[in-house]
Amino acid sequence: MLNVHARHVWAAVLVATLMVMSPAAGAEEKSRLDVVLERGKLIVVTLTTVPPFAFNDEKGQLVGFDIDIARLLAQALFKDPTKVEFVSVTAEGRWPAIESGRADMGVGGTTTYPDRALRVAFTRPFIDSGISVLVSKKSGIKTLADLNQDKFTVASLNNPQMADRAKRFFPKAKALTFDTPAAQFLAVRSGRANALQIDTPSAEYWAAHNKDEMDVLPGLLGASQNNGVFMKPGDFKWWLWLDTAVAEMRTGSWYPQYTEIYQKWFGKNPPPQKFYLSQ
Amino acid sequence: MSFAQWVAIYGPTYVTGLAWTAFIALWASFGAVVWGCVLLLIRLSAGRWGACGVDAYVQLFRNTPVLLPIYLIYFAFPMIGLPWPAVVCGGLALILQNGAYISEILRGSVNAIDRVQFDAAKSLGLASWSTFRKVVLPQVLVYSIPALGNQVVLLLKDTSLLSAISITELTMQAKLLTEQTGAAYEAFIVVALLYLVLVSSTEVLFRVAHHAVRWR
Repeated sequence: MLNVHARHVWAAVLVATLMVMSPAAGAEEKSRLDVVLERGKLIVVTLTTVPPFAFNDEKGQLVGFDIDIARLLAQALFKDPTKVEFVSVTAEGRWPAIESGRADMGVGGTTTYPDRALRVAFTRPFIDSGISVLVSKKSGIKTLADLNQDKFTVASLNNPQMADRAKRFFPKAKALTFDTPAAQFLAVRSGRANALQIDTPSAEYWAAHNKDEMDVLPGLLGASQNNGVFMKPGDFKWWLWLDTAVAEMRTGSWYPQYTEIYQKWFGKNPPPQKFYLSQ
Repeated sequence: MSFAQWVAIYGPTYVTGLAWTAFIALWASFGAVVWGCVLLLIRLSAGRWGACGVDAYVQLFRNTPVLLPIYLIYFAFPMIGLPWPAVVCGGLALILQNGAYISEILRGSVNAIDRVQFDAAKSLGLASWSTFRKVVLPQVLVYSIPALGNQVVLLLKDTSLLSAISITELTMQAKLLTEQTGAAYEAFIVVALLYLVLVSSTEVLFRVAHHAVRWR
């Protein structure tokens, strides 16, 4: 009698286990969009030492163009721009933060590259960028061509794109590699390096704030580039929402808000909403 | 790509990183022991002011994270006209901090020797150098080697911080590979294993050394 009873209990446990497990096993993985909406807060991974994209102001608050873009996304999701939690990382920490699901998406002066897009998904660009060279005035470097001498040292970030550019544009110069833009900047400031390569807006920001010491060389290293929002690949619903939101900022209904943010950080209007519309 | 495939392709890239880590750890450990001895000698022989100075130094370095001297020496020294290479700056920072700890370890070992032994040495007519060589040193080695081993292991692990000043040691190598391949877990698991090997070999080395002095 007791035996029969025990068997019933085991059967019940088995059925209950199957019932709990089956929807998870059968159904598709839940989209990040639904997770974010349920949570009521957007988690964003970002670099925090790339002015004017993302940096700490005098009060220690995280501010910048990319930070405001993330807040604009929170405004769209929750009608509240403060519903964002920022996770700060070093340059190479951006990818595991996305891969592990620690963050829903990422911003922070991050360039879209085809080889990067193999492991993280990007939206269309929310800003045009490019890579410029910031030099210390003491070095006497005036053009990109000047840079290619073995007496100069150039600071780069620890990604292969920076290393490739260094090899292509100034193979003779010595190379230093750092994991944050702040350390690159410090290297030039302290005389460790004569120059650094970084996104054009950042180079211009630092030059503007250190007029006596630093200059941005004319011209770009290579082509104009795109900075996009990045996320875990494979989640179509989440990607589609973010890409639509970015498209609306640059070419559609949110252009006014986007323009306001652009004006705030760069002191000029963004590229026209549509090429056939006059500004 | 499986983990084994990943290791087969990118494993060889770690060799330079491994060499840098081992090289810096080696010379910084040696320097730290020497510096620790110097600090101890000052403390024991330079009177009250010497002892106070060493005490202040030890407090300063024991109570600050080692990343601070690393940054300071690397970025601030060029401003005062001393553009030493990163390896020298990083090693120096590790020596300054670990020397402070090691001087304390050695001091503890010297204090562990019974005062009576010094009187005995004197009554046997040993000069101060002979007292040091025949009485103090053999006992200090026995007492201090396990603790020194721990300190060297800590120093070895702290070399990972030198990735912040552009030294391509193991951790920097993993960061570069993460950026290059996106394989964060693989890159850092390999590094963890390599550190494990380095640390275990160091521990074995110190155990052998301890055994050797123990039974003399």
